[in-house]
Amino acid sequence: MMPKAMAGQVWARRQIRYRLFAAATTFVLIVGGLPAAYGIDVELGRYLSSECMTCHGTAKADSTIPNIFGLGQTRFVAAIKAYRDKALPNPVMQTIASRLSDDDIAALALYFQTAKKPK
Amino acid sequence: MTEISRRSFNLLAGASLATLSTPLFAPSVLGQAKPRLVVVGGGPGGATVARYVTKDSAGAIDVTLIEPLKNFTTCFFSNLYVGGFRDLKSLRHNYDKVRKGGVNVVPVMASSIDRDRKQVWLAGGSRVPYDRLVVAPGIDLKWDSVPGYSEAAAQIMPHAWKPGAQTELLVKKLNALKDGDQIVMVAPPNPFRCPPGPYERASMFAHVLKKKGYKKSRIVIIDPKPTFSKQAIFMEGWEKHYPGVIEWQDPKMHGGIKSVDPKTGEIKTDLSTYKAALANVIPAQMAGKIARDAGLADQSGYCPIDPESMKSKVDTNIFVVGDAAIPGDMPKSAFSANSQAKVAAMIIRAELTQSRAFPARYSNTCWSLIAPDDDIKIGASYEPGEGKIKQTTGFVSQKGEPADVRKQNYKESVDWYNGIVADVFG
Repeated sequence: MMPKAMAGQVWARRQIRYRLFAAATTFVLIVGGLPAAYGIDVELGRYLSSECMTCHGTAKADSTIPNIFGLGQTRFVAAIKAYRDKALPNPVMQTIASRLSDDDIAALALYFQTAKKPK
Repeated sequence: MTEISRRSFNLLAGASLATLSTPLFAPSVLGQAKPRLVVVGGGPGGATVARYVTKDSAGAIDVTLIEPLKNFTTCFFSNLYVGGFRDLKSLRHNYDKVRKGGVNVVPVMASSIDRDRKQVWLAGGSRVPYDRLVVAPGIDLKWDSVPGYSEAAAQIMPHAWKPGAQTELLVKKLNALKDGDQIVMVAPPNPFRCPPGPYERASMFAHVLKKKGYKKSRIVIIDPKPTFSKQAIFMEGWEKHYPGVIEWQDPKMHGGIKSVDPKTGEIKTDLSTYKAALANVIPAQMAGKIARDAGLADQSGYCPIDPESMKSKVDTNIFVVGDAAIPGDMPKSAFSANSQAKVAAMIIRAELTQSRAFPARYSNTCWSLIAPDDDIKIGASYEPGEGKIKQTTGFVSQKGEPADVRKQNYKESVDWYNGIVADVFG
């Protein structure tokens, strides 16, 4: 049987590890945007994405129409909201974004974060 | 009588028309395992529906696309071929990737639709049964809408409003012009495929004349409409790049188109008679024959649809997408057809596999090139409303925009073309 003092040290180390893990996890979740997956309508995102595919399916690095496949949710959401607010200039995207609700944008962002560009 | 099921067609992939007409196929019961979607017409509307239903249903729906063309030449961007900005090859697309994606592509002309028996008859005498049918035949031309014009006259006075040979003929005649020769375009009445198209084409004519260094040739547009798409910005561009070269006449000015004569090259209006070295006569249009023969069109010649689904108002098992449909506020364009196809695909999948349906949303953008790096655009979003597809928001290029904006528009249009043809054809 472990002495009481040693058991206390192990418990303390475990607590530190647990807190570090929890903090790191929270950091990853916030930065990566994973908590945003909760409650998001994935099927809606897939349907709405079909509108994007008309232009974005073959985008390359030097395209005027950017690649949005694999884009992080945070960046995706920020860009679409900027178009919706007309803070970004392209009228095609402003028009498309103007009818997207916050839930629509979240659904699209989740879809494109993991969607693979068609080959 | 022959019936094509998915299994039997796969066995016969690559079969010739002659083979298809022979009674080789399994009984229809083989096709009953999966619900069957048949699509007539492999353009931006039809091919998109076929690909999206196949992809999104993950094999749960048997999808057959009936399209006789081995290579589809896009009408969109064909004006850039006229202007010398692209070659024709870059506008041609085959169905290899559509086929690889799981769509049964039947390279045969669909001759008629038997709505009572829910089957499509092919030119060779075979039939293809369906549970849901998408009709996307594009347009036919109303030859008699311009007095003196006919299918035969189009070999001398090309319309070039259907892609391929007609566009090649138009370019051949354009390149043969001498300085001082006159081009006359007869523009079509509403509603017609690609509303800014005639005016982009006139711009491309003027660009070619300018590039050749011609000073004396002129272009006359005789229009049955009082206004046209993006008119103010087109006219500003014409004045800037081709001053005095393009003359647009509305009905008040020309008084009416009296006749065209392919033998003499003359176009007569109330105002005058024009001698055209190149006559580009674009007649009125209507839904493709197979849609009209099936009773899907109304008196307008186009097919009424339910704006929530793109479903025919005549037959609940049939959807009509693209230029053959009556699209409410949407223009007849490849972008519109592609957008409508995605709504139809989503509804079809929901009906045949009990997947979720979502509210219909549509969008469109049309880019038009006036001169090198001077490209304008118009676009909008649409939703069902007031019994039609109703515009909710929109935009159009403005007069006096900076050159870098117009140049960016052109680059964007090229990127869009690459995107949409990949979306349609894979």
